[in-house]
Amino acid sequence: MNRDKLSEPCPKMEYIRNCAVDLCVEIAGISMKNPVMVASGTFGFGEEYAKIYDINRLGAVVTKGITLLPRHGNPPPRLCETPAGLLNSVGLENPGVERFIREEWPRLKKLPVPVIVNIDGDTVEEYREIAKRLSELNGLAALEVNISCPNVEKGGIAFGQDPGSAYEVVRAVKEAATLPVIAKLSPNVTSIQKIAAAVESAGADAVSLINTVLGMAVDIDRQRPVFKRIFAGLSGPAVKPIALRMVWEAYEAVKIPVIGMGGISTWRDAVEFILAGASAVAVGTAGFIDPEAPLKIIDGLEKYLVECSICESALKTSGEDKTIKLRDIVGLAHKNFTEGDFS
Amino acid sequence: MERKGDILAGLLFSTKVIQNVLIAYDIYHMKICCPEVAEKAAPGQFLHIRCSDGPTPLLRRPISIAGANEKDGTVEMVYRVLGEGTRLISQKKAGEILDVMGPLGRGFPVPLDAVDPVLIGGGVGVAPLLYLAQKIAGPLSRSGRSGAAFIGFSTAGEVFGVDFLKSCGFTVFLTTDDGTAGQKGVPTEAFENCIKGHEVQKQFDIVYACGPKPFLAKVKDAAVRGKIPAYLSLEERMACGVGACLGCAVKSAGEGYKKVCRDGPVFEAGEIQL
Ligand SMILES: Cc1cc2nc3c(=O)[nH]c(=O)nc-3n(C[C@H](O)[C@H](O)[C@H](O)COP(=O)(O)OP(=O)(O)OC[C@H]3O[C@@H](n4cnc5c(N)ncnc54)[C@H](O)[C@@H]3O)c2cc1C
Ligand SMILES: Cc1cc2nc3c(=O)[nH]c(=O)nc-3n(C[C@H](O)[C@H](O)[C@H](O)COP(=O)(O)O)c2cc1C
Ligand code: FES
Repeated sequence: MNRDKLSEPCPKMEYIRNCAVDLCVEIAGISMKNPVMVASGTFGFGEEYAKIYDINRLGAVVTKGITLLPRHGNPPPRLCETPAGLLNSVGLENPGVERFIREEWPRLKKLPVPVIVNIDGDTVEEYREIAKRLSELNGLAALEVNISCPNVEKGGIAFGQDPGSAYEVVRAVKEAATLPVIAKLSPNVTSIQKIAAAVESAGADAVSLINTVLGMAVDIDRQRPVFKRIFAGLSGPAVKPIALRMVWEAYEAVKIPVIGMGGISTWRDAVEFILAGASAVAVGTAGFIDPEAPLKIIDGLEKYLVECSICESALKTSGEDKTIKLRDIVGLAHKNFTEGDFS
Repeated sequence: MERKGDILAGLLFSTKVIQNVLIAYDIYHMKICCPEVAEKAAPGQFLHIRCSDGPTPLLRRPISIAGANEKDGTVEMVYRVLGEGTRLISQKKAGEILDVMGPLGRGFPVPLDAVDPVLIGGGVGVAPLLYLAQKIAGPLSRSGRSGAAFIGFSTAGEVFGVDFLKSCGFTVFLTTDDGTAGQKGVPTEAFENCIKGHEVQKQFDIVYACGPKPFLAKVKDAAVRGKIPAYLSLEERMACGVGACLGCAVKSAGEGYKKVCRDGPVFEAGEIQL
């Protein structure tokens, strides 16, 4: 598709002008007015950015990872910039589930946007406990089970690197929770498809990926690793191609919806993820540079749907209804690849 | 005392660069037009600046506010070119657009009553103290009190701010590491000698400092020994700049970590471990 052609008069323009755009998506039983969410750990508990822009325009809000007991996190430095990327070693600093419920939830529950809580634990038992406790909250949209945190001693990523333990954690959360469960997957695996299939069979209602890519940096002035934990998690534009590849793979491996993230900064990035199979996308690191990036992506998606000639394939499915639906283009690149002609 | 900045009112602004000139070795003085920031800003607060439109350097760079003028809506910064981000900022020309977020963080408490304040700054850490001096100048001259500023640089070519501090009513004690300007030495020593000095025992009511961590640790020790309340402005690598990513941690005096961007960058010396 040649995007430059957008500025030329489009023969379908008359038709398109009569079209409405529908960005709504439903994932794991959560109705979202658009597919753009914020990524866990990059948005705190929403309080900071609520003072900068209208966060009610977001499709959903995902909180920082919560554990059963409070955690102090890792010692500084916790950040290091790399080419087009960011290494972080925050280490799940969080107030623990009880203080979260006392201090953050009363404000979060008033948001007219679905709120998803990201949870983490050292043991299967901890995941179960926290899932049970959070299920008592009225109005919480879903749990996102982080089996992919690279910045902690135990648990986290270890659960997400083996299909057996990934299954076990998600199963336990699913049994304990009365809420939809999203499994957040790590890119630091050999086969994302095996892990995705495992969490699907454990009952996950959706998968989200990718968490950060394991990396490191060396301090050449002090001749030692920059981070105390040596390895840290890479995010930002640098990881986008990896994330996109994994979303493509996951889409082929499971029937449950895929939430795509990793380096999404513009609406073009978001469209790529959606065409590769993401039913929704999350924006993380890009929000540090431009807090309004998620909103610009929402606007861009809408324009993309209206303007572009995807209508060709999307319209077929839309039938008489002249509404262009975002959900009709989810995974479209797969279909076009198998049906299309690459020569 | 009044301490602005407890409520985050950080916003995004596309501002116009009015001037951006070299004032000392690798040190630039930038003036931008941003009435919203000029009106709200407090000394010690910072702006989070986008250096490029593309993905490298990726993150914004935090730079302290070194001056603000509510009347003409201008905001000033003084910064050192260290790496790619500050190099790109230094290339901005008058008339060009600068994307800033702010004012962010909690600043220095500005005394409303008569006090004898002391400012201690190392290198580019002098920058936020200039704005503080600007704010204190009025009360200082009205109450007939005297302020002192101990500032240090590595060499004469890097010195800035001396005349401005004097014009705000401060007595300036200048040091350089190599002795090419002022006294040879570091400002923390000069300060310690002054409060220890038996003959000319000088009593200060409040200490404000900004500089590298080891420097601030010395200021803290001296202030504790001299039983003077001290406010220290810290630096840490930042991503979001607003308290959302938990990246800019500094060990709290109690348990856990404080966030430099949200709980600071100015901390009362007793709040944190250096
Ligand atoms: C609240 C706050 C206020 C600041 N105010 C000013 C100011 O008024 N004037 C000014 O000149 N600078 C100020 N700084 C420092 C300034 O933000 C950094 O110098 C700048 O981010 C460097 O970016 P760069 O891309 O030029 O260099 P980079 O390429 O990012 O870094 C160059 C070198 O400096 C080191 N470095 C970068 N940032 C830091 C840091 N924050 N702490 C320690 N080492 C670092 C890197 O490891 C690298 O070796 C402030 C920092 C903070 C946190
Ligand atoms: C500072 C920081 C903190 C993060 N904390 C969490 C977390 O607590 N739980 C989690 O599942 N993912 C966490 N992530 C991962 C992000 O949610 C996201 O998966 C990743 O950053 C890739 O997206 P991005 O490139 O858009 O940032 C964190 C990422 C960053 C940069
Ligand atoms: S820079 Fe993100 S919390 Fe301070």
